[in-house]
Amino acid sequence: MTMFHFFNCAILTFGPHAVYYSATTLSEYDTFGTSVKAALVYLGTVLVKLVCLATFLQVSENDGFDPYQELLKVLIGFIDVAGLYFALTQLTHRNISQIHKFQAVGLGWAFADSVLHRLAPLWVGAKGLEFTWDYILQGLEANANLVLSISLAALGSLIWLRKNKPKTLIPVIYACAGIVATMPSITSYLRRGLGWHFPEVVGFELFTSLVMAFFSWQLFSACQRPSA
Amino acid sequence: MVLSKNFGGGHRGLQESMYSVISLLFILVACVEFCDAAAAIDVYRLIQYDMSGSAFGSRFAALNHHAASLHFPLGTDLSRTVLIIPLRELNITFVREYINQKKPLGGLLFLLPEIFNPGNGGNKQVHEREKLKNVLAELERLLIHANLPYAVYFAFENDEIDIVLADIKKNDATGQPATATTGGYKLVIPTPEPKKVASPTITNIQGWLSGLKADGDMNQLPTIAIVASYDTFGAAPALSVGSDSNGSGIVALLEIARLFSLLYSNPKTRGRYNLLFGLTSGGPYNYNGTQKWLRSFDQRLRESIDYAICLNSIGSWDNELWIHVSKPPENAYIKQIFEGFSKVAEELDIKVGLKHKKINISNPRVAWEHEQFSRLRVTGATLSQIPVAPELLESTGGLFDSRQFVNETAITRGVKLVAESLVRHIYGHQGKNVQIFADGGSLAVNPAYVQSWLDLLSRTPRVAPFLSKNDPFVMALKKELADHTDEVNLQHEILEGMFTFYDSTSTTLNIYQVASVTFDLVLLLVLGSYLIVLFCFLVITTRGLDDLISLFRRPPSRKVKTA
Repeated sequence: MTMFHFFNCAILTFGPHAVYYSATTLSEYDTFGTSVKAALVYLGTVLVKLVCLATFLQVSENDGFDPYQELLKVLIGFIDVAGLYFALTQLTHRNISQIHKFQAVGLGWAFADSVLHRLAPLWVGAKGLEFTWDYILQGLEANANLVLSISLAALGSLIWLRKNKPKTLIPVIYACAGIVATMPSITSYLRRGLGWHFPEVVGFELFTSLVMAFFSWQLFSACQRPSA
Repeated sequence: MVLSKNFGGGHRGLQESMYSVISLLFILVACVEFCDAAAAIDVYRLIQYDMSGSAFGSRFAALNHHAASLHFPLGTDLSRTVLIIPLRELNITFVREYINQKKPLGGLLFLLPEIFNPGNGGNKQVHEREKLKNVLAELERLLIHANLPYAVYFAFENDEIDIVLADIKKNDATGQPATATTGGYKLVIPTPEPKKVASPTITNIQGWLSGLKADGDMNQLPTIAIVASYDTFGAAPALSVGSDSNGSGIVALLEIARLFSLLYSNPKTRGRYNLLFGLTSGGPYNYNGTQKWLRSFDQRLRESIDYAICLNSIGSWDNELWIHVSKPPENAYIKQIFEGFSKVAEELDIKVGLKHKKINISNPRVAWEHEQFSRLRVTGATLSQIPVAPELLESTGGLFDSRQFVNETAITRGVKLVAESLVRHIYGHQGKNVQIFADGGSLAVNPAYVQSWLDLLSRTPRVAPFLSKNDPFVMALKKELADHTDEVNLQHEILEGMFTFYDSTSTTLNIYQVASVTFDLVLLLVLGSYLIVLFCFLVITTRGLDDLISLFRRPPSRKVKTA
C-alpha cells in the first residue's frame, strides 16, 4: 500500500540489476554501453514479437491450455533467441572479453524485460491502498528472470562466439539453451494447463533459474579450459 | 521500386498495429486502477435533516477509517474506527448507550439481512423475521432522533462482506484492533460533504371523476374525497419504500378509482356524486402537502365535499380496522359514515372501531390526514389498522416496512369495505344487503392489480425531498390515475416549514485490505539485507574475498606516504 510498498517492491525488482552491475567486474570495465544496447535490442525484439502474436494468434475464450496456440507461442518465443543472437554477435562492442560481453548483454536484456513487463503494473498497483502479495512475487520473478537471462546469454555466447568447443559438450549446450529459451512456455503451461498458483510458479522459476545458472556456469568454465 | 512500395506499406501497417497496441496498453492500465479493492458494496446513508434548527441524523458522508467488529477489546479508542454491526447481532442498549453518551466513533456500518432489500424478491422465509423487524424498527427510531457527528451507513449482507467481517472478527479476537500499525481492513467512501437539498418539492396528484348531473339541476353535485399520502420517511432515504405505510393506502386508492371508473363509465350507472381522488405528498411532515392541496381549492368545491376518507396503512391487519375522526362521535355525519362502514364490515366479517381524537388548533402536530380536512371544516375520517395516533416521524414507512410484512388479502378486504360503503352511500342503498363489488363479477376487486402495484411500490423509495418534479414514479401515478378518472391535475409545492434535508443518500463503499507499517518496515529490512548479501556474494565470486574486505578498509599505505 502506498509509496512505501511501491518503493520496497521497486528495489526488489530493479535492485539486483544495479547490484549485479556494481558488484561484479562489469563496472570496472565500463560495459554500461553494451547493456544499454542490449536493452534497445530487447525493445525491438518485443515489438516484433507483439506484431507476430497479434497477427498469428487467435484469442481463445477459455483460459485453458491449447497445444496448437502454445506451439505457436513457442515458435514466436524463438524470436527472443534471434534477438539475443543479434545483440551478442552483430552489435559492435568495445574490446571486452567474452565473459563480460555475455554478462553485460544478459544484464541489459533482463533489465529491459523487468522495466517493460513489471514497472507499469507496479506503479499502478502497488501505490493503491489494497495490499496483495502479487508485487513481491513479481519482484522475485524479476530476480529469477535476471539469472535466466544471464544463463541464456552465456549459452548463447558459447554457441555463437566460441569457435572451438569440446565436441562432447555441444549437444549439452544446445539442450540447456533450448530449456532456458522455452522457459516462458513452460511457466505458462504450468499456470494454465496444470493450474498452479502464482507463488508456486515463482518458486519453480527461482529453482530452475538457479539450476540452469549452475549448469551454464559449469559448461562455460568447461569450455574456458582449452583456450586458457 | 515495387519492393520499396511494399516495404512502405508494411511499415504503415506496423505503425498502425503499434498504435493500437499502445492504446490497448493505456486502456489496460486505466482499467487496473478501478478493480483495486477487496470488496466494493452499495451502501445507503442514514438520513440527515434539520428540524426547527436542530440537527438530526448522520452529519457526515465521507469515510476513511479502519474497520472493527463488535468483538473489539474493551477500552480501545474507536474515534478513528468504523464499527460494522450486523443486525442479527445488534445489541440495542449498547448502541443507545454509545449514542446517548456521545462517545467518539469513526463511523457505523449496519448490515441488514437480505429480506429488507427492496430490490430483492423478498419471498424468502427467514427465521425470526418478526424479531428482526422489531429490532430494526427500534434501531431506526433511535437513529432518526439522534445527532451523530460521524457517517452511518446501511448495507445488505452478501458473501463478500461476510468474508470480510469474519476476518475482522478473527483479528479482533486476537486482541489487536486495526490501526495503521497493525494492518487490517480499511473502509473508504470518498464522497464530498453533503449539501442541503434546495427547495424540495412536494407534488400532489388529484383525479376528478364527475358524477351525473340531472338535466336542469343547477346545483353543484356533492363530492366525496378519497385521499392517501404516497411519500415516506425512514432512516435510509434510498431504502424507504414503505410497503405498508403508505403503499397499501396508495394501492387501495388506485383500485377503488379503477372500480368506480368502471361504474361511472356508463352514464346509466353513474352516481350523483363527484369523486375526488387525492394522492398527496408531505405526509410525514404533518401532512403539509394535504394542507396546501386543500388551501388551493376554491370555496365552492370545498363546501361541496360531503366527507373525505383517508387511507393510511391497511396492509397488515387481521380482523380489526379503525376509523379515526376528529369530530365527536355524536355528530350526525360521523354517525352516518360509521354506521355505513359497520354494516358492510359486518357482512365482510371485519371488526371496525371508532376512535375520536380532538384537534388542538394551536398544536402544529397533525397526526392523521383527516385532521387537515377538519381544520378547514370538512368532515373527514381516516381508515387505518393503527389504533393509536402515531408520533411525528413514526409509521412513515421506514427500513423495516418491507414487502414481506404486507398481506395483499388485507388490502383487498379493505378495498371492498371502503368501496361498498361508498357505493351504498352514493346510490342510496344504505342498510340494504346488496353486494355491488361482489367477487366473481365484472366489478370484483382485482387481486392481481393490487399485487402488481404493491410490488412496484415496494421497490420504489419515495422520500419527498428526493423526488424531483418530473420523477418517473410520480408520472406513473399520474398516468394511472388519468386512466381511471376524467381529469388529473398535478400541484407542485415547496416543502417549507421545519424540515431541511441533505443529499448524498447512496454510494459505493470500498473495502481495502491494508498491510501495517510494521510489515513494510520489516520487508524493507529483509530486502536491504538480501541486496547486501547478493552484493557480497557477487563480489566474492567474481573478484575474490580480498576485494570485498578492501572495500571497507581505507588503504593504509597512503597515510604512510604522506607522513
